[in-house]
Amino acid sequence: MSGVRARIEASLDRLVDATVIERLQISLAALGFAVVVGAVLVFVSGLIADCPDPFLSLPGLGGACYNPVEVYWTMATGSFGSLAALGRTLQETTLLLFTGLSVAVAFRAGLFNIGTQGQMILGALGAALTALWLGEVVPGSLIGALIVIPAGVVVGAVIGGLWGMLPGLMKAYADAHEVITTIMLNFIAMGIAFWLVQNRVGNLESDSVLTHTIPEVARLTPTIGGTRFSLWALLAALIAALGIYVLYDRTILGYELRTSGVQEAAAEYGGVNAKRNIVTSMTLSGALGGIAGSVYVMMVQYRWQDGIPPLGFDGIAVSILAGNNPIGVIPAAVLFGAMKSGSVALNLSLGVPPELVEVLRGLIILFIAMPEFFRMIGKRYGYGSDPLATDGGENV
Amino acid sequence: MKRPTVTRRQGLAIGAVLFGLLLAGFLIDGGRSLLGDVTGVISASYFAAVFRFTVPIAFAAMGGIFAEKSGVINIGLEGLLIIGAFGAVAALWGLSATPIGANIWVAFLLAVLASTLVALLFATVCIDFKADQIIAGLAIWLIALGFAPFASIIIWDRTNSPSVGTFPVWEVPVLADLPTVGPLFSATLPVFLLVLAVPFSWYLLNRTTFGKWIEASGEDPKSLDTAGVDVRRVRYVGVLLSGVYCGVGGAGLALNTGQFVGSGDTMVDGRGWIGLTAYLIGNYNPIGAFLASFLFAALDALQLQLQQIAGFEVSSTLVGIIPYVAVLVVLTFVGRTRMPSAAGEHYESDE
Repeated sequence: MSGVRARIEASLDRLVDATVIERLQISLAALGFAVVVGAVLVFVSGLIADCPDPFLSLPGLGGACYNPVEVYWTMATGSFGSLAALGRTLQETTLLLFTGLSVAVAFRAGLFNIGTQGQMILGALGAALTALWLGEVVPGSLIGALIVIPAGVVVGAVIGGLWGMLPGLMKAYADAHEVITTIMLNFIAMGIAFWLVQNRVGNLESDSVLTHTIPEVARLTPTIGGTRFSLWALLAALIAALGIYVLYDRTILGYELRTSGVQEAAAEYGGVNAKRNIVTSMTLSGALGGIAGSVYVMMVQYRWQDGIPPLGFDGIAVSILAGNNPIGVIPAAVLFGAMKSGSVALNLSLGVPPELVEVLRGLIILFIAMPEFFRMIGKRYGYGSDPLATDGGENV
Repeated sequence: MKRPTVTRRQGLAIGAVLFGLLLAGFLIDGGRSLLGDVTGVISASYFAAVFRFTVPIAFAAMGGIFAEKSGVINIGLEGLLIIGAFGAVAALWGLSATPIGANIWVAFLLAVLASTLVALLFATVCIDFKADQIIAGLAIWLIALGFAPFASIIIWDRTNSPSVGTFPVWEVPVLADLPTVGPLFSATLPVFLLVLAVPFSWYLLNRTTFGKWIEASGEDPKSLDTAGVDVRRVRYVGVLLSGVYCGVGGAGLALNTGQFVGSGDTMVDGRGWIGLTAYLIGNYNPIGAFLASFLFAALDALQLQLQQIAGFEVSSTLVGIIPYVAVLVVLTFVGRTRMPSAAGEHYESDE
């Protein structure tokens, strides 16, 4: 038993010892490598793609269509270059804050919630239906909005929370690995929502799979003209980040939630109901995913429509880039928000497929997963005592 | 320690649950005189379709067994299948512009090579750079999920490829002419490969020295190291094999329809994840994994065939989620498998 206790203490030590600075170094290094690999990919793609006037002609290889520097520059100006661009970036940031926090909450408890996407899809549908139904009943004034919008958020959170609770229960009581169950639940959530909207609750006259548009009163008022970004939603997301930071780092419940996932047995020895806490963490995580869906409907799309963007998977990257720290999620969400809004400009002005961002997303996760890689590089270039170590205490 | 396996009773339970789900799926969707239609669908050509559908799932599952038994959990199977599928179609399309011409066999080999190279990357990241295997596997999936449509747009200007050609159908002499069961004996290369790969994988794992090394590498790497076998190398081979298998599965999937579909979750559409579950249900046994894959594929094919019956109103989306629900039910109520004890852990040789 003391062995178990020693192990949990060691793993908690590792979490604490990996200081903010070290995590930041890892994240920045991973980001840098992802950008470089992405640049190579863009350049090589440019050799394959057809374009009228390549920026560079290589003998034997033909014309290179995309200049990586121009690509990244276009992404930067497309995300911060104008007020409207900034609005689009912050709009994405708001959504990514919620999905990133959703993933981070689970990660802090040692659980991989890959299911944020499904929780968001169902939460979005719940919010859309709530807004459609309540929007008919309430007055079309500020009072009406103060009823409909919170109701939509609550319904989204409850549905997302219940959907997140499912894999939590399966993990806690049947030992089913949450990575597999949450991914399965994503497919199921998408199927259920699609079927409901197509056959039951949607706009049945439309050829597309979508619901009716929610009334004006249920929409978050845009703050920046020409965009749908609402400062209120961003503020709510920032408050959520702070709240989760306080919950996890400053309260006993937060401590229990963290230990239950990391070392279930040891937590039980300490008198903590680990199983219940696993369910709680997953429910909280799902609720945040559901809220992301609500905000997506009431701020961005104004209805549920097939083809909801993969914000849940972006949330994984945001959380991992942030070292699963709720405060770190804020800059990570801004970065990914910028990449996403910049990719639209990229597609419009240079014709580079916006899926580039999804490749970068995967690369960032991959590089962060291997701190050892950076340590080896650090050693090779003479930084003796591996300044980039993330796992303090472990000798290699 | 006795290894728990899926008993006969549990197997029956799985079957009952799957059948119940199927029934429930139809009843929710309006309720039709179902049984007659189902029995009307089941024929030799239906089973031939099931074999085709089993190819990507079972190859991913068997590949996953090699990786995980050697100690590296490869949850990037879905991504490797995507690379295999995209690679096959892109290679066939690209080859048509070269002196080699649109040779489907060369394209098939190139697809397997592509998937294996990605598996090599995954192996390096996990074994040499000691990455968290779950996160790295996720990254492989997400990279493939982004890269395939990205490259499709670069090459074809849209996420779906044009039709590039399919494998020729081979007929087993004499057997293919039999009444009733004849259609089972005319199939494409991937199906024949599957029929060979299942016993081959079982033999490799259970009756050869290599199989013992794989097992030891995942269960007790220290002893294997002491016995003078390089754990690192065994694990590399395990992961690379998962790349080869997924390459065959993905290429088999894409060259069956002759097109790569990159929209949404791509044409692979969760088959890698189902394969992962199939080997858990099969308890790391290639034969068990194949049977589980076959069951999932049978559901999938049934749904497709029922849709083709005129006047049969069945929502494909709702029936389409049945395999995923089945996976959850199995994982929650039946599948109590034991992972190799050193799976997911790095091994550091003391020398």
